Amino acid sequence: MNVHFKLTAALLEDAIADLRRPHPFAAERAGFIGCKAAACRGGALVLAHTYIPLPDDWYLDDPRFGCVFSADAMRAAMQFALTNDASMFHVHLHDYRGVPWFSRPDLRESSKFVPDFWNVKPDLPHGTLVLSADAAAGLCWYPRQKSPLRISRITALGFPTRFVGRVE
Amino acid sequence: MSGIYSRQSFLGKDSATLFREIRTGVVGLGGGGSHIAQQLAHIGVGRLAIFDPDFADFPNLNRTVGMTFADAVSKSPKVVVAERMIKSINPDAEVWSIQDDWQSDFQALRACDIVFGCIDGFSGRAQLEESCRRAMIPLIDIGMDVHKDDPYSISGQVVVSMPGRPCFRCVGFIRQKDLDDEGRRYGEAGGNPQVVWANGTLASTAVGLFVQMVTPWCRIRPGSAFVGYDGDGFTLEHDMRLTVTGKNPCEHFERIADLGDPFWKA
Amino acid sequence: MATEGDLRELDQLCGGAKEYTEFGLNYVLLPQLRLPSGCTPAVLDALLCLSPRDGYPTRLYFAQQVTSKNGLNWNAQNVAILQRSWFAYSWNYVATGRPIEVLAQHLKALR
Repeated sequence: MNVHFKLTAALLEDAIADLRRPHPFAAERAGFIGCKAAACRGGALVLAHTYIPLPDDWYLDDPRFGCVFSADAMRAAMQFALTNDASMFHVHLHDYRGVPWFSRPDLRESSKFVPDFWNVKPDLPHGTLVLSADAAAGLCWYPRQKSPLRISRITALGFPTRFVGRVE
Repeated sequence: MSGIYSRQSFLGKDSATLFREIRTGVVGLGGGGSHIAQQLAHIGVGRLAIFDPDFADFPNLNRTVGMTFADAVSKSPKVVVAERMIKSINPDAEVWSIQDDWQSDFQALRACDIVFGCIDGFSGRAQLEESCRRAMIPLIDIGMDVHKDDPYSISGQVVVSMPGRPCFRCVGFIRQKDLDDEGRRYGEAGGNPQVVWANGTLASTAVGLFVQMVTPWCRIRPGSAFVGYDGDGFTLEHDMRLTVTGKNPCEHFERIADLGDPFWKA
Repeated sequence: MATEGDLRELDQLCGGAKEYTEFGLNYVLLPQLRLPSGCTPAVLDALLCLSPRDGYPTRLYFAQQVTSKNGLNWNAQNVAILQRSWFAYSWNYVATGRPIEVLAQHLKALR
């Protein structure tokens, strides 16, 4: 099954600008994107609507990891999901050019916290994205499937429209 | 077969692959949609979803690209005519032919990366835009009119509805008054005069906008999203309405609830 | 907007009325609405639009065209609302008000 993640170029720009901001102690920032979903021939669409930045004090100082967000961050994301009947996608940035991918800690941690969104919205897909300066990749946990799917396509819509993530 | 697209290589070294993989929807295969389908096939678009419930008839022959006299005699479905034309140009094209209103197959529409709207009537356009906005699909709409003037005048437009940017209502292309008037006329919208050269100009502009949207061919000019056609003076100009409203966020499709399928089931 | 009480009233005629808003217009989904006798099908999903739309102050849409004793002008065909396709006959001038009364007025056309 193919999952196509779409966001506007403006939202992508806002997310990257936020994720690039330096943090007092975290090496990397993170955010969440609230989305809606729809079935399409051959798979599903995940449609990004709201970027949720994390305030500086929603990070935990853990030198073992580039970024650790607090329970407050997770609560805010859960609340958004509940209030808006939304799919939630975690997002962070590897600020170089080229196709990014998740580090082993990224994969390990996201496989723990992403399925937690099913506690509030069990029938919706949730996931995680990693952005680079000019590309993106992502994983989607589809309801009732234990392992995540690699997001097949990520499109940033605007003038121009850019196909920033495409699985060959 | 190499070199088919060599004359359009300035569109970018990956453009051939991009066109081959992108899926375009063409809703309506009359005078405008048939031109668009032909041009998409020529530039190498490899995946198309085409929607039209109608059949070929003699009054269509004056403007429907790809339609033959034999099609009109045998009342071939318009999707059959279009698919045949597309594959005669690009035999590798994958064509989903939906011989029905597009509303009969939302999932096929949603699978499109770009949709060309080539239908009559404001209500139909409004619905198509709403569904494209729900699926975050850029919609390029074309239309022409012949007005009783002195003696007649031809006009038309190409309008783009881009997610996150002003919509048809924002720029005044669709107005509540037009929707209400059309509803009171029992939804009649068809049967308007149509001519091949005006449709061709509008279709070509729409395809050019699509290519400009997805390839790094040239610097994008935001005004290009609403182009008005003067069919008497043969000019195309950016419509002032987008220039005025273009920087404002869209106020009609802003809620998260307006995205996706409200009855989504995994 | 329909209240909880309005929705409970509508539940007498269908399988769980639910309100939706789409692009500024208010709708009530009426799953498996029971139609007046003599209609085919006898039960189907319907959508009550409580906002002015397309020149009608309110309108009742059906998941498919319905056959009834009366000849009706089904002038809305395959209308996309809430990502489903709907059909409606022309039955105008039913002003908005208590949803169950609006529904009753629209169903008169089928009696």
